[in-house]
Amino acid sequence: MKLGGVFFILFSLNIFAQEYAVVSNVLLHDITKSKLKAIFLKKLTHLNKIHLVPVNLSSNNDIREAFEKEILQMSKKRLKSYWSKQHYMGNRPPVTMKSQESVLAFTRNVLGAISYVKIENVNENVNILYKWRSND
Amino acid sequence: MKYLVLFLLFAVTVFAEDEYTLGEGYQVGEMPIYLGGYFSVDYRKKDEEDRYRVDDIAFMSYGGNDTISYMVELEFKEFYVETHNDKYGNTTERDHQIYVERLYVDYNINDNYSLRTGKYNSPIGFWNLMPINVLRATTSSPVLTKIIFPNYTTGLDLSYTSFDEEEIKIDVILQDNTAIDDEYNNYDVDKHYALAFSYEKGNYTLKLNGGYFSKRDNYKSVNDFGYILLSEKYETDDFQILAEVGAQSSKNSDHNYAGYLQGLYRFTEKHIGIIRLESYKDELADDNDNIAILGYTYRPLFPVALKTEYQQHSKNNENQFIFSLSVLF
Repeated sequence: MKLGGVFFILFSLNIFAQEYAVVSNVLLHDITKSKLKAIFLKKLTHLNKIHLVPVNLSSNNDIREAFEKEILQMSKKRLKSYWSKQHYMGNRPPVTMKSQESVLAFTRNVLGAISYVKIENVNENVNILYKWRSND
Repeated sequence: MKYLVLFLLFAVTVFAEDEYTLGEGYQVGEMPIYLGGYFSVDYRKKDEEDRYRVDDIAFMSYGGNDTISYMVELEFKEFYVETHNDKYGNTTERDHQIYVERLYVDYNINDNYSLRTGKYNSPIGFWNLMPINVLRATTSSPVLTKIIFPNYTTGLDLSYTSFDEEEIKIDVILQDNTAIDDEYNNYDVDKHYALAFSYEKGNYTLKLNGGYFSKRDNYKSVNDFGYILLSEKYETDDFQILAEVGAQSSKNSDHNYAGYLQGLYRFTEKHIGIIRLESYKDELADDNDNIAILGYTYRPLFPVALKTEYQQHSKNNENQFIFSLSVLF
């Protein structure tokens, strides 16, 4: 009975887990979580001679929160502090778009664009650079 | 010329975008040009002296494309200072000169290399890169940031950055010319050659800096100095531990030593506590002190800071209370 309960819980978690993907219109090899973090913090601006254009969803978007937790590993307050300091340094945060559809359209059309969406929305026009699963 | 640039910075705000978030600057229309600035006012209470000061009023503009970008920052420093001293009476000083704090162009050479030319914050340690009141932890700055190395460099900065599991950055700093607005620096520097190494992995960052510079003193004689600085930082969402220690030496065997250890704790997003222990010895000025600082910062929004701090000094008559308001816009 106890074992069955554990299996049930694990099965339930798997059902409710959501899978996400970081996508780009160029195939960038050897992309690690650290590099993605550097790209979305605008520390890494060029890769393979391509200018990188990270794209965020709106600040209260659930997918963005999952991305920030998985990739950036920084809280909202720390990110606010980071981007205020970057404003003084002359750097801007990534552009923001409201929907996954806009993000995918932008990513398809702009060389070097990188964004993140739910995996079921990924289409053949973009390449998956990184995938992760979250139970949140 | 500086007033003209300042006027233009104001004028283009008329064409800035409607949507504005405090602390993130204005975008000029659809152009890749941004405007911003900051200001700071403070009050200091010592045993025998009260001081009210409008310190920084600064305007900046930056922008560019994927290859070339620029930064211009013009500033009023100690715009208005009113002092009430029990021994020396009351004084009021005004400095309405505009100083060039930063003026540089960045060029992205390739994935790893970039080149900066102009006047820039010397990329030495942590504090010197974030020197404005609203962004730093306390209203006061550690003495280390004033007696070891030149705060600003006018010349070239060749930068190499590598990203993998860790971030490595190396800066080669070169100045062999008169500085832009040489009054606006802690040292009047003609030459500055330095290396800056930075290693970052996860929450931990280590920096090591060493350099040489020649400066003119008040009598316009030139002296050469060498310096070394070691900095470490560990930061999470809730707290930060920061330590910097440095030494400076000159040919006539005068030495400066300075260091500090600072802890910062974010009780909430708006309430932050700071404690800093400092020590320094300035042989050239025949000065030394040990300082303990306890500070509290309230940030109703991140770009707005209300700060208080109390400083306990080993030197006589230096204990002080400081309160400040600073805003980044």
